[in-house]
Amino acid sequence: MSEHILTAHDLDVSEGQIPRENWFESSETLSKLRKSKKFPTIWCSGCGIGIVMGALIRAIDHLGIKNDEVALVAGIGCTARMPVYMDFNTLHTTHGRALAFATGLKIARPDMHVIAIMGDGDALAIGGNHFIHTARRNLDITAIVVNNAIYGMTGGQYSPTTPLDKRATTAPYGNIEPPFPVCELAIAAGATYVARSTVYHALELDKFLAEAIAKDGFSLVEAMSYCHTTYGRLNKFGKATDMMRSLKDNTITKTAYDKLPPEERASNTKFVRGMFCNIDRLPYTSQYDKVIARAQGGAQ
Amino acid sequence: MIEATTVEQPNIANSPTAQPARKGPRGQVIIYAKWCKGCQICVEFCPMGVLAFAQDLDRAVVVAAEKCTACHFCDTHCPDLAIVVKRFD
Repeated sequence: MSEHILTAHDLDVSEGQIPRENWFESSETLSKLRKSKKFPTIWCSGCGIGIVMGALIRAIDHLGIKNDEVALVAGIGCTARMPVYMDFNTLHTTHGRALAFATGLKIARPDMHVIAIMGDGDALAIGGNHFIHTARRNLDITAIVVNNAIYGMTGGQYSPTTPLDKRATTAPYGNIEPPFPVCELAIAAGATYVARSTVYHALELDKFLAEAIAKDGFSLVEAMSYCHTTYGRLNKFGKATDMMRSLKDNTITKTAYDKLPPEERASNTKFVRGMFCNIDRLPYTSQYDKVIARAQGGAQ
Repeated sequence: MIEATTVEQPNIANSPTAQPARKGPRGQVIIYAKWCKGCQICVEFCPMGVLAFAQDLDRAVVVAAEKCTACHFCDTHCPDLAIVVKRFD
């Protein structure tokens, strides 16, 4: 194992090496909880999914949860490769069924922090039913939807979050379907914590992820990312850095949005980021414990 | 587990030749050369111009280490987790 790592990092002669104990300070967390032997990642150069992964690791470390107490469940897609690079209990499942498997895991092991990592197509198209019903049942699961507005891994087909008139390989003249508003969908379905941020605002994403994991009940964090390889190329959005800059320019905080006059609010085309919902409802596992107590009490 | 890394320049805290460009916190940027894919996010967004893109190496390199203010933009936004910023005052 160590041999493999050494070949992956063989030192250039011109470059120095600093003592091991001085390496990490801010990024100590990342080095502790990632699986270094799996790096570099399979994602395209500049893909935002890696930033979400860094934010998730920092959030879990901030809460002080042991890595044995965390279970990462992922489906299929670019985003679902994420648990491969992290040192937690992981479950790689079928397409769209991450939340279905997470439901079973949570009921079997209510003590675990179950985190379901999904892409937009994974969560909302193939797993759309699982998404709304997990929110309705209010299982104590943290769902992370990395929204890049396209099916990246399979070649750029349009997904349920592709904006109107934007191009995809299956919509060469523009998409005619309106996109799903992910956060509003989750709130309507009964999620207890809903927040949206972008990969440009990585520290804000850290905060939302930490709050979502700490929350008792179904919590959703939508991390807006980008796919410069397919979506960006088809729509002429430029490189990864250009799309990163457009995330910065085309989002507005919820506080600023709430202060806008109604007419400006109606014509707002920017994405609103912030925490949209934070309510308390009894989680499914607590309800289930009540049923157990009732049934056993009745038998006695 | 051994985790070797490549460092763009020696530790500037102990170097007598490198003087800080300004007061305040200083940082040292460490790049894992084999993990960097050359996406240039750190190069474009670094507010102090510490990093540059090396065409021949196809990755980011540190060009002005003394300017780093340890703002941690590059290490939080590196998609490949290939940057570590070490802060010292």
